[in-house]
Amino acid sequence: MKRIILITLLSAVTAFAKSANLDVKPQPPVVEAKSEAVLPQELKVGVKGMVCAFCAQGIEKNFLKQPEVSKVEVSLENKYVKLNFKEGKTLAKDKIASILKEAGYESVFGE
Amino acid sequence: MRLIPLLLLVLTSLTVSAHPVSYKDALGIMSYNDTQMNEILLTYSLNYNYAIGHTYIREKNSEFYIPRVNWLAKRWNNEDSQGNLYLSAGSGVEKYNNTTSNVRLAEVVADWESRKYYTYLEHLYMLRDNKDNPLWQQRDDNHTKLRLGFAPFLADYNDLNIWLITQWTQHNTENIEATQFMRFYMKNVLWEVGADFDGGFAFNFMIHI
Repeated sequence: MKRIILITLLSAVTAFAKSANLDVKPQPPVVEAKSEAVLPQELKVGVKGMVCAFCAQGIEKNFLKQPEVSKVEVSLENKYVKLNFKEGKTLAKDKIASILKEAGYESVFGE
Repeated sequence: MRLIPLLLLVLTSLTVSAHPVSYKDALGIMSYNDTQMNEILLTYSLNYNYAIGHTYIREKNSEFYIPRVNWLAKRWNNEDSQGNLYLSAGSGVEKYNNTTSNVRLAEVVADWESRKYYTYLEHLYMLRDNKDNPLWQQRDDNHTKLRLGFAPFLADYNDLNIWLITQWTQHNTENIEATQFMRFYMKNVLWEVGADFDGGFAFNFMIHI
């Protein structure tokens, strides 16, 4: 009788343990890796007050002075400046705003 | 004929600017020429609201050499337009025959432009010590210029922009003169050709580097 009870208990515990294991979702291994954000290759920034080619030329020139920037495209029609960055490089929004301010314009960043 | 050396100077100069103050480290030249006067303004912008410059004016047998400071007192950056208020002051010399006398300059410029419309108002005041020029004996000298323009079509940065501009000028108490301009510009180069109703002509040229 004792043997039957022992076998039943072991079976119940084993079954419970198995069913409990089924509820555990697999977790990714904890790795203390240094996470690197993916840097955007290009960025469009709205510019207030950019209405003429002379304005645009000043903005283009100021951005091309930055070592991080590989190409600058200006659109008077759409009122933006599109910056292409060199691989692995970018410019912070504060820096972009400061460059535009130095050129005499205001930046508008999308959400 | 006297225009040729000025044009050569402009065309061979390294720089020019459309506004009295441009962006930081910008070099510029503005050149305004008509049948009565020639003016060249060289500027170097220390930052976006201050520039140092030099004005050369040739009018009525007098030549003016006036170092100056330009200040962007206020800029309005709007979604589709920009407005500016510039103030300038300078002090230099006037040369007439073999005499040299002092001259002071003060200038106010206000402009507002969108991609379609353009307005510009300028008042230049010069206080001249020279009274020897028989053609021009006024000590207090005032030039006022008003310009209104529009673009018949909208062009982008890399396109050729064309504007039609009417300019009214008054020198002291003389009659107001109207001149019709066609303005062309592309990227950093701008030029204007104009004619008035009396057969006079005008040519303006600007470049940024």
